[in-house]
Amino acid sequence: MAPLVSVKDLVKIYPTGTRAIDGVSLDFHKGEFVVLIGLSGSGKSTLLRCINRLIDPTSGTVAFDGRDVTHASGPELRRIRRRIGMIFQQFNLVKRSSVFANVLAGRLGYRTTWRTIASRPSREDVALAFENLGRVGIADKAFGRADALSGGQQQRVGIARALMQQPELMLADEPVASLDPATSHSVMKYLEEINKKDGITVICSLHFLSLARRYGTRVVALKGGKVAFDGLPADIDDRRFKEIYGEDAVEVEIGLGPEAPQGMTADRAALDALAQDAAHLDMR
Amino acid sequence: MAEYFTARGLPVPAELRRNPLTDWRRLSTIGVILLVLYVGFRITDIDVSRANPEYAAGVLRQLVSFDWSVLGPQNEFETFWDGAIGLMIITIFLGIMGTALAMVVAIPLSFLGARNIMAGNPITNAIYVVMRLAFTVIRSIDVLIVVIVMVILFGLGNAAGVFGLAFHNVGVMGKLYSEAIEGIDAGPLEAITATGANRFQVIWTAVLPQLFNPFVSFSIYRLDTNVRLAPILGLVGGGGIGVALFQNIQLLRYPTAGTIILLIVITVAAMDFISAQIRQRLV
Repeated sequence: MAPLVSVKDLVKIYPTGTRAIDGVSLDFHKGEFVVLIGLSGSGKSTLLRCINRLIDPTSGTVAFDGRDVTHASGPELRRIRRRIGMIFQQFNLVKRSSVFANVLAGRLGYRTTWRTIASRPSREDVALAFENLGRVGIADKAFGRADALSGGQQQRVGIARALMQQPELMLADEPVASLDPATSHSVMKYLEEINKKDGITVICSLHFLSLARRYGTRVVALKGGKVAFDGLPADIDDRRFKEIYGEDAVEVEIGLGPEAPQGMTADRAALDALAQDAAHLDMR
Repeated sequence: MAEYFTARGLPVPAELRRNPLTDWRRLSTIGVILLVLYVGFRITDIDVSRANPEYAAGVLRQLVSFDWSVLGPQNEFETFWDGAIGLMIITIFLGIMGTALAMVVAIPLSFLGARNIMAGNPITNAIYVVMRLAFTVIRSIDVLIVVIVMVILFGLGNAAGVFGLAFHNVGVMGKLYSEAIEGIDAGPLEAITATGANRFQVIWTAVLPQLFNPFVSFSIYRLDTNVRLAPILGLVGGGGIGVALFQNIQLLRYPTAGTIILLIVITVAAMDFISAQIRQRLV
């Protein structure tokens, strides 16, 4: 089967001289839940942004569904981008706009400029927006301002916005790094759901190996812009861990914090995940 | 202090090793300042021997013995708008119109002068540099000089004042707006770009909502400044109440001039207060 995303000899050198990506070749297949791990500055964010070309690579190519992303012209690139959803560590919502407007923005790649100015979303877009807000459990907050929501809720708005694109691929750049452990599991559960139920391929960068083990079907570790590990989550043992994170690193588990908000931000699925995590901890 | 470092075998920081009384950096700085002041005193030839305090005091007394008749029309040929109150209202509108005209031009141009909007492509980058340079050049020409040039173009009167004010403010407001655009949170831009939106849609959806407050705030600030500037424009033929003020001064009608000055002071103070109130409520 042809890969959904094919990265070949990718190199990104920033104007400051930093080699963020130093010759990466990877294939991502349909249906995978790929977790990118590595230290800060190992190139995770740059690699993700080269896939939808928020960052122009210095050399090498990225192909999405057989189309060359790296050399795509403006309109061609936008047609590729709208098939790739993305969520961010800082959520990147338009804070002053309503939740509804933020979610609707996910449809921009399909809308004409004129419709954007006239702010006349089509009936289908409005219906889709409420469907996706319902999926992430915040339909009741639709007309409040985006920055009135909690961090976990804002990230769910981010997911709803990306789902509006009806994407085939979801890029997630440290989606839970700004969230508490319970909320992290809640957000990761939504990503798992869209991966399993909707068949959307997910490439997600994470800080915590425990989350990578719990949610990933494949783990890719980057170190200094190069691939340091590519395989099953279970295959990362102590030796590999130290290779990726350095000799002094100690693995920490992300579990239920002492004052995690129960039931409020964490939905049932997340609590289930927490229970599993706790069991996992006991086993060790 | 230095003992702390020497006792521990550490190098003594440079600022502790210097004696403030013999430090050549300090002495040369003081020397340069004194030299500039001395040269300035010699070449400007500031002469206070011709000051005439008695005459000035007399004029001051006349200025404050207000002649209120100037507030209304002076004779049967004049209307309300020829009186000082009418002229003051016209002058306020001179400031408003000048600001509005400048806004209409400066807002679209400010996007071309914002680095975060124009970066990423050599052509747009060049437009950014040219735009910023243009704002700086326009801004550096004082509004009175612009009005003098506009008087040549439009003749004496309100048109020269409004267009002169507007021209100067395109430079000032263009810079303010551009900097507001550069100060926005880039995260939403990135996110909206990632959805496949085009550049215009990104600006409309992710940039404009973030700009509403700073733009309104800067506009009110400039409106305030421009209404204050407007009475002076009459000095160089830009119309408004300034014309009446300088005519009366030249005709030595000090009680009338004093009344006009009082009117301007009250108006500017009121503008100041209102503008501060509105801006406070916005932030």
